[in-house]
Amino acid sequence: MIDFTLSELQQAARDYAHQVALEEMRPISLECDRTEKIPDSFMWNMQRRFWAGAAGQARTQAQEGEEKQDNILSILSQEEMAWGDAALSTAIPGPGLAAPPILSQGTPEQQAKFLGPYMDGQLHWGALALTEPGIGSDVAGMSTTAVLEGDEWVLNGYKHYITNGARSDLVVTFATIDKSLGREGIRPFVVPRGTPGFVVGRIEEKMGLRASQTAELIFENCRIPKDHLLSGRESSKKAGFKAAMGTLDATRPMVGALAVGIARAAHEKTCQWVQEELPKGFSVYKRREIELELDEMGQELEMARFLVWRAAWMADRRIPNSKEASMCKAYAGGLVMKVTSAGVRISAPGENSESRQFLQKWFRDAKVFDIFEGTAQIQRLVIARRLFPEVDIP
Amino acid sequence: MLNFAPTQEQEEIRQLAQSLAMEQVRPQGRSAEQQGDISPALMKTLTQTGLTTPFPEEYGGSGVVEAVTYTLIAEELGFGDGALAMNIIGSLMGPLTVLLAGDKSQQQHYITPFSDASRGHLQRGSLGFAERTGGYYVTEISATIRTEGEQYILNGSKRDVIHGGQSSPRVVLVRLEGTSGTEGLCALMVPLDIAGARVSHDEGKLGLIAAPSAAYTFENTPVSATCMLGQPGGSGVLRAAALYNILRAGVACGTARAALDYAMDYARGRIAFGRPIVSYQGIAFMVAEMAMKLDAARLLTWRAATSWDRGTGCETLVQEGEAAQYQAIKIAKSATIDAIQILGGAGFIQDHPAEMWMRNAAAME
Repeated sequence: MIDFTLSELQQAARDYAHQVALEEMRPISLECDRTEKIPDSFMWNMQRRFWAGAAGQARTQAQEGEEKQDNILSILSQEEMAWGDAALSTAIPGPGLAAPPILSQGTPEQQAKFLGPYMDGQLHWGALALTEPGIGSDVAGMSTTAVLEGDEWVLNGYKHYITNGARSDLVVTFATIDKSLGREGIRPFVVPRGTPGFVVGRIEEKMGLRASQTAELIFENCRIPKDHLLSGRESSKKAGFKAAMGTLDATRPMVGALAVGIARAAHEKTCQWVQEELPKGFSVYKRREIELELDEMGQELEMARFLVWRAAWMADRRIPNSKEASMCKAYAGGLVMKVTSAGVRISAPGENSESRQFLQKWFRDAKVFDIFEGTAQIQRLVIARRLFPEVDIP
Repeated sequence: MLNFAPTQEQEEIRQLAQSLAMEQVRPQGRSAEQQGDISPALMKTLTQTGLTTPFPEEYGGSGVVEAVTYTLIAEELGFGDGALAMNIIGSLMGPLTVLLAGDKSQQQHYITPFSDASRGHLQRGSLGFAERTGGYYVTEISATIRTEGEQYILNGSKRDVIHGGQSSPRVVLVRLEGTSGTEGLCALMVPLDIAGARVSHDEGKLGLIAAPSAAYTFENTPVSATCMLGQPGGSGVLRAAALYNILRAGVACGTARAALDYAMDYARGRIAFGRPIVSYQGIAFMVAEMAMKLDAARLLTWRAATSWDRGTGCETLVQEGEAAQYQAIKIAKSATIDAIQILGGAGFIQDHPAEMWMRNAAAME
């Protein structure tokens, strides 16, 4: 039965994340953006909060005997986190983007070996390395290579734009074992920090998400044990590529949720600015025009959220959701730019208040949501290809 | 708990509606536009399925209306033909408003004829909502009534009232003088053959030509107190207004889907420079955009429908219905316009229905 209301468990997950966003993120958001640094205290607080949060959630879920809803619970809290601060939300300790490929492609032994250490209550991060200087969305053209020499894989190549790349204990790195196989030669490898031949290059300076760490990773004859190839389902030739793409079907709704969170923050702040800070002397007509624009964006915000919810709901039910995942990412990515740029424009006549600084920060943060995890154009390509499976759309 | 799948029963009803829409409604779209109305034969077929009689069984109906189920039906009818869908829903809103706002005897009197096996399909109701001074927003309703002895004095206007010239019950949404917002809304049945009421049948319309409509002007029109459905200011009136918007949104989603589907077929089959035109990103991206925005508007519509079924507070409900119809009509307009663009020259020619759908979408506001 079609239902847009949250269960108690879902509402609790959302409320919990909102509280964290409000208490831990908003107060340090502007400062972290300015300095591009995150205080250790934040990391520890998040470690502690999410440890407790995740454990509590698992208990409730077990008690209620509800069906699997990892994706829904995740996107509900992602939206709240991004409402707090999207950059800070990327720095929350944990395996992060390394987890999905390990969970979907790793053997039970590999899952225990690589994810186990994250449970010790200390600060650990994980990263996913896909993008290279020469390839973005077209992962099939990957040039990082992996060659098996005896009991070791030898990796060579560059990866860049890697979130948490410099602070991660392990990086799931995609590399090709045979360039002539194209995308089917791509495999995921787990590279631990400190492996000889694996070095961190420069840390990028960015227009937005400035507190989030974005690193360049260099692999020069980097040797890792043979069993660091995530090979749980190697029977399929497409395993590696599918791991990369399957990850996107789960993470695109999350990116969509983050975009919705920023858009909501900006929408709220702009509405509040109009209420409290609109300079005297604005004509009623001008004010009404702004209110109508904000009303409409409020509707679009709800539609974006529903698209995200639907894609995550499908993922939980294991219904193929590439098209829907791309739809929510494309819609939310476009909307967050629209809402944040409207916020900057509408608040332009005001004093340089904290509200305006937030709006300007979110405007800078927003742009990348139209780009990473597949640009707006790639999303439309994915949607079109799903709509026309029989047509070759290059 | 979040869920995006219709129930098994809803899915079966939707499929029935879809097959009727494709086999009966779509083929008659153009001829109905020429006739300016739905054919009695088609209306009879639909009535026999029970799809057009969502009334309680005690009034001979097929079961009381649920917004989600009927939104699914509305989308399928709109997928068949937007104008015929509005013809059907426009009529249905008359008895449905009586059901939602009226008392037992009014319901018995006005609803039962619609379920009649031999004559029910000839029955037409109407609901006057939008006015010359606004759109389908409750707050923009400015037609007023004031009490004068045993009767009301009515002032104001209504526009685009589907079946408005020949309906029974003929309901209009008005407000008690001095009220605003969602306060004081009333559903009033009006006779038209009385002093102070002027009716003009809409002619030469842009779209929705197959849904005949009329406009009213009331100047100090006296209406008997017995014409009031239920109590003035009751929540049933707001629920009727919200339902009309939700169903209009459903029809708009159907119109958008028809355009998307038609454009997809064309883009798949039309070859240019040796390739189907959809293999060019200029076309593929347009189609992707249409599909994405349609899904977004449909979800917004479904949300409003679930709120209606759950009995959500009227203030929120009215707002959600208004948002749904605004966004759904917006995508219906842009999708039909884009469909014509994808068809190119063929889109401009009346051999294809795309231009009719575009006019229908634009006429829904």
